[in-house]
Amino acid sequence: MPGVADPQCSRAMNPISHKVMRAWADLGPGFLPFADAATADVPLSRLLRLSLFQVSVGMAMVLIVGTLNRVMIVELGVAASVVAVMISLPVLYAPFRTLVGFRSDTHRSALGWKRVPFIWMGTMLQFGGLAIMPFALLVLSGGGNAAAWPSWIGPLCAGLAFLLVGAGLHTIQTAGLALATDLVPAESRPTVVGLMYVMLLLGTVVSAVIFGVLLVDFSPGRLVQVIQGAAVTTIVLNIVALWKQETRRPPRNNGAASVPRPSFREAWGRFIAGDHAMRRLVAIVLGTIAFTMQDVLLEPYGGQVLGMTVAQTTLLTATLAAGGLFGFAFASRTLSRGADPFRMAVAAALVGIPAFGIVILAGPLQSLPLFVGGVFLLGFGGGVFGHGTLTASMSLAPRDQVGLALGAWGAAQATAAGVGVALGGIIRDLVAAVAGREMLGPALTGPATGYTAVYCIEIALLLATVVVMLPLVGGKRNVSFAGS
Amino acid sequence: MDDPNKVWPTGLTVGESEELHRNIIQGTQIFGMIAALAHLLAYIYSPWLK
Repeated sequence: MPGVADPQCSRAMNPISHKVMRAWADLGPGFLPFADAATADVPLSRLLRLSLFQVSVGMAMVLIVGTLNRVMIVELGVAASVVAVMISLPVLYAPFRTLVGFRSDTHRSALGWKRVPFIWMGTMLQFGGLAIMPFALLVLSGGGNAAAWPSWIGPLCAGLAFLLVGAGLHTIQTAGLALATDLVPAESRPTVVGLMYVMLLLGTVVSAVIFGVLLVDFSPGRLVQVIQGAAVTTIVLNIVALWKQETRRPPRNNGAASVPRPSFREAWGRFIAGDHAMRRLVAIVLGTIAFTMQDVLLEPYGGQVLGMTVAQTTLLTATLAAGGLFGFAFASRTLSRGADPFRMAVAAALVGIPAFGIVILAGPLQSLPLFVGGVFLLGFGGGVFGHGTLTASMSLAPRDQVGLALGAWGAAQATAAGVGVALGGIIRDLVAAVAGREMLGPALTGPATGYTAVYCIEIALLLATVVVMLPLVGGKRNVSFAGS
Repeated sequence: MDDPNKVWPTGLTVGESEELHRNIIQGTQIFGMIAALAHLLAYIYSPWLK
């Protein structure tokens, strides 16, 4: 602090030098985002290493939803409906995150680990799925000698591969986030949540670019190399992330199973009877659906309604991601200063409402800057909402139910995201079909009608989120922070 | 060192080493099945790259 500067130092320096010196001193933390997440027990290097599990999850997500989605349709010529079923399979495992979290809370291990066995098991599942996936996709496409074999082998094995990857990434993320919550003190959790989100985004963006570059010259052999390379990367990243992270707490009195393990039903009953737990989950589901329904619609909306080129619409995804990054940074900063995570999530929903309004208005006004601004705001709102709800889930989690609480958050969030994306597409198609037959009147036959209907539903869902969440604002936050 | 349950030279107890062994066996089984399925699919697509 300038006021208590070393007198010798002050004598030697003029005020300008002193200011420059201060600027240099502040530069370190300023250029190291999330440096304030570190504590004496858990230094930043260890947190960054732990967050590598999010990079592996992001890599698997982008491979399934982005890269392979396109490869299957364009390069392998698989029917779009089959592809849609395949990429939606991992979502089926999302509700089981609650069970994974519960099992990791109550896991009995002679070695004294609760989270490591689950992250390791998730890693093996994700590795296994990615290891068989390229061959399964090649057989699914009917290429090579595959036509000589029964046709059900391809879909069955490809489905198994996608399910394995989904089960793996949901298990890794649930146990990994629970481990992060175990490791850091309550006051650092908001910044750690921000770090985890940023690493997930980083994993997604960097992997998308690398996959794109590697698959430019597509060949079956290259597909095998890329996907199996991702499998090996999963193992490497997760072993580095896990190494010596979890404190071993071997059971006392030689692991005697004297204390009966609670059943899932009992544990869930105790969790849901907690402070507004069901209301929180409902708010997370509503808000997440509201912030994800437009995910696959923004690019076609830009193309069809605003006449954007393919290159321009691809930049929309980057704009959305940039908005999300700003959202995570803003939420980390504000929440680590003691702000109420629920107030933050409500504010995020309130940012989303005008953002959708701007996106809708950009159509009739044919204004590209307005549209891009609206998309950025959507990314920002979605980032802050996700950060706020995860931070709240972490800080309100009972000490012995951290895994269950984060599993419930993950299950609500991931299932809602999957349902939201699917609903967005279905509603747009339905409304567009009805409007195309002039059943909504001659004024609504344009291409924008289907999209606008989805955006209006999203505004209504955000309003519902605010209504559900308002009673949570200013609740037992201080008590929980002090008690956790 | 003074815990009679710990076995030289790893310092693991019998229970801990049993758990490690169980994980290694389970991991080997999973990787074995994955490898077998991947080989079968590779064979279906291109019988030994012929």
